[in-house]
Amino acid sequence: MVKNIIKDGLYSNNAIFKQMLGLCPTLAVTTSAVNALGMGLATTAVLTGSNLVISLIARYIPKNVRIPAYIVIIACFVTIIDQMMKANFYSLHKVLGIFIPLIVVNCIVLGRAEAFASKNTPLYSLIDGLSVGIGFTIALFILGSFREIIGAGTFFNISVMLSSYNPLLIAVMPPGAFLFLGFLFAGKQFIDSRIKGEK
Amino acid sequence: MEHLFLLFVGAALVNNIVLSRFLGICPFMGVSKSTETAVGMSLSVAFVMTISSIISFLIDKYVLVPLSIEYLRTIVFILIIASLVQFVEMVIEKTLPELYSGLGIYLPLITTNCAVLGIALLNVQFKYSFIEMLIFSFGTAAGFGLALILFAGLRERIYYSTVPKYFQGMPIVFIMAGILSLAFMGFAGMVK
Amino acid sequence: MNSFFKSVFTITIITVSAGIMLALSYSFTKDKIAYQERQEILNAFKSILPYHNNEPDKDYEIINNQKVFVAKDNGTITGYAVNIINTQGYGGAISILTGTDSKGAVYGIAIIYHSETPGLGDKITNKSFLDLFQGFTVNDKIAVKKDGGTIEQFSGATISPRAVAAGVKDSLTVINGMIGK
Repeated sequence: MVKNIIKDGLYSNNAIFKQMLGLCPTLAVTTSAVNALGMGLATTAVLTGSNLVISLIARYIPKNVRIPAYIVIIACFVTIIDQMMKANFYSLHKVLGIFIPLIVVNCIVLGRAEAFASKNTPLYSLIDGLSVGIGFTIALFILGSFREIIGAGTFFNISVMLSSYNPLLIAVMPPGAFLFLGFLFAGKQFIDSRIKGEK
Repeated sequence: MEHLFLLFVGAALVNNIVLSRFLGICPFMGVSKSTETAVGMSLSVAFVMTISSIISFLIDKYVLVPLSIEYLRTIVFILIIASLVQFVEMVIEKTLPELYSGLGIYLPLITTNCAVLGIALLNVQFKYSFIEMLIFSFGTAAGFGLALILFAGLRERIYYSTVPKYFQGMPIVFIMAGILSLAFMGFAGMVK
Repeated sequence: MNSFFKSVFTITIITVSAGIMLALSYSFTKDKIAYQERQEILNAFKSILPYHNNEPDKDYEIINNQKVFVAKDNGTITGYAVNIINTQGYGGAISILTGTDSKGAVYGIAIIYHSETPGLGDKITNKSFLDLFQGFTVNDKIAVKKDGGTIEQFSGATISPRAVAAGVKDSLTVINGMIGK
């Protein structure tokens, strides 16, 4: 069971590539590998925390107010993470800006709470939160790294391309976000069909 | 006056909430399959966005800041939005049932629309006055509707075109969004 | 009715608990956050002002509705700084922090925030551009080459450096007013 949860979260049911949730931060924050990583980890922290708490008290929450209740719990975690980041990772916090509070409306977090945490044990919910979060972080990191390398010629702010390389600026601008993600999705469909074909 | 007009144009076109600020993508992708639902969605979002901006602005200005409890901003704002959406849902169900079924799950999902919460937060971050906030929110909602309806039109077209194999479905949708975003970048420089 | 009250009760409990958690978290982090915010400002001052060992953000005077920060070394004034927001940037407002020595000549400038185009106008944050302003006084012509000055504009992006030049000029005028007092 645990193995399945982890596998699902990381790959088969990957938040971005399979479920296509959490797209807003995906496009906005992946202008560099560091930002993508920071955002992914912050979301993972919220996801793990909220999954745990919600799975602990889900049975006490009347059905008709469960969504607002989940949202309040999630918002609480988001605010705590926001404050912790501002206190300890000030410049990263500044770069991520409003996308940290926006984790509260990241469909992934609410989606997992509703689909998994409210129906499973705290331990499984915790593992699910971690797996989905890390799967999300990996996807963000891939996109962020691509965009940074191609759009700015750096990786984690270290120059990795030849000095004659003229960065393809569009990669780190809004249109680039959409285009790159579109190509990544196409790539995934290509990989998936190859896997199916070989089977 | 000129300043307010530019603010409106800036919010709707130059810094289009979807194509340039990346807020509101989920409904953007989900509801843009037909132009009718796109129009219905835009109007619902516009309504929720404007009203929730006003309420959250007032509460922030007259309650959160004076009491120094700004850290409660996220929770308070999202509760305002959730309640408002609940209210709008009830009204639409009673008055426009076809629209209600057309929008389906995307109506309650306005609560998790990053654009609505995002605008409420940006209003505070940009330190707008009341009038500026109104214009900004309304302009943003207009921009959201414009992008959504344009995109729905494009998607209806592409439904009948031949798309390369691995790009069918979501990939081509994103490529289209990218090109539309590129087009909207042409507006930069309009607001001096 | 019973279920209605149960719903309201649950939501209230959850919200109140959340509020308490946040109040706790806030009290744990607020000092650190205030410290970080201040460090950011003080670091900016360090980069644009001559040596000082006071805290310019607390040591200021108001001239013409504008805060003029004063840098002091053991009580002797070593420089002044002004934060001007120029709204003529390509993408909107540019916040410029200008630091001068005690005689009003530019020691260094820093861009606090801007919305200029990446790859074009955002070159105004490059050190090579910011250094061009060193030494200017209020009597110099501070302008891009296109406007008859000496500041190199970027090809395809004149508006951004022009806005910065105007901001620096305005800052020097304010500081000059302070020195003249």
